[in-house]
Amino acid sequence: MNEYLCHDFKTPRVDTSRRLPSSFRAIPIIFYVALVGSAYVMTMDYFNYKAALKQKTDAEERQKISEGKTESLKNEKASLEAEATKAEKVAQWMEGARNIQPIAVKIARAVQTDTRITQVALERSEQVPANIALTIHLNGSKVSTELAAIEASLGQLLYRSYSPQQTKNGDVVEYHSTLVRQAE
Amino acid sequence: MNPKQIACIVLLMVIGAMTYTAQIIHKTVATTRAAAEDAETAAVTAENDRSTAEVQTTMLRTETEDVRRFLRSWLPAIDRVQTQQEAEQTIELSLRERGINLVRSRKTEVKQSAGNKLIPKSVVTTLTIEDEFAKVLNWLGDIERRLPTARMKVVQVTGGSTGAQLKMDVSFETPIFDLAAADAEKKKAPAKPVDKAKKS
Repeated sequence: MNEYLCHDFKTPRVDTSRRLPSSFRAIPIIFYVALVGSAYVMTMDYFNYKAALKQKTDAEERQKISEGKTESLKNEKASLEAEATKAEKVAQWMEGARNIQPIAVKIARAVQTDTRITQVALERSEQVPANIALTIHLNGSKVSTELAAIEASLGQLLYRSYSPQQTKNGDVVEYHSTLVRQAE
Repeated sequence: MNPKQIACIVLLMVIGAMTYTAQIIHKTVATTRAAAEDAETAAVTAENDRSTAEVQTTMLRTETEDVRRFLRSWLPAIDRVQTQQEAEQTIELSLRERGINLVRSRKTEVKQSAGNKLIPKSVVTTLTIEDEFAKVLNWLGDIERRLPTARMKVVQVTGGSTGAQLKMDVSFETPIFDLAAADAEKKKAPAKPVDKAKKS
């Protein structure tokens, strides 16, 4: 055994500084709790951040696609509206441009040979072009029958005589009416 | 201040720094999540708008199908007459082919319609022809077939110079459609379908 005592661990030491209060023992515990807590929160935040970024990117992509399609649909709708408007105007014009020749032929075929038509006039109304003012001058023995036959023939073309009037001028009977086309 | 106290203060500062950093990061993530939620809401709104636009467009397409088909069926006839010369040539050809030799009078004038963008002008033709009964009426049918868009304004048939002949005074308006100009005049109100008109 060496005669010099190098070190004696068992010898009580007098503290070089004052002891901390007992409550300060909680500080290391708080440190570890804070360390673990912060690590947990930051890890979860990292994953949430990544997920939020992906959700945002996806949502923006979807929004962009939807807006593009909406724009395209709006353009298509505007185009359809324009085409429909044109079509309606063309239809309005064509409603007043129905063929007149079949009316003239029907009138000519409706009368018998002993009745003579001296004049047939078909005049389209300015305000309502679909309506046609009909004037017939005819003479013969059975004028009323002939006019009824003419009206029946025109009915086959879906025209109805509106407010027909007859005036007798000597041997000639003047017949006036407005031909209104009936709905099919 | 002894070293133990300094160590405690340092430890407390580290705890504070960690907590603060975690809080800052959490706030940033919360902001990003809020932005993501906003983007999601905007995307859902955009999808709803698209869905609404799709329904409206489909409805309009269905509602206007008849009238648009009507227009498509008339496009060849409309394209056939685009100038005054084409209208006059058609009349000339019809008279020649139908053998109408006696044309007592013939007048053609252009009628301008400034307010009508679809039909900015039309050709008004006034004719007086005289021939046999069948030829005159056949010619009338022929001109209506060749110019199906023309609107007969006045047709007056009287006796001709001889007993076998008829005199026909006819006045008709041939529209010169300008569909391209009408495209510019887009109406915002949705169009309603109309009953399609048919030539008898």
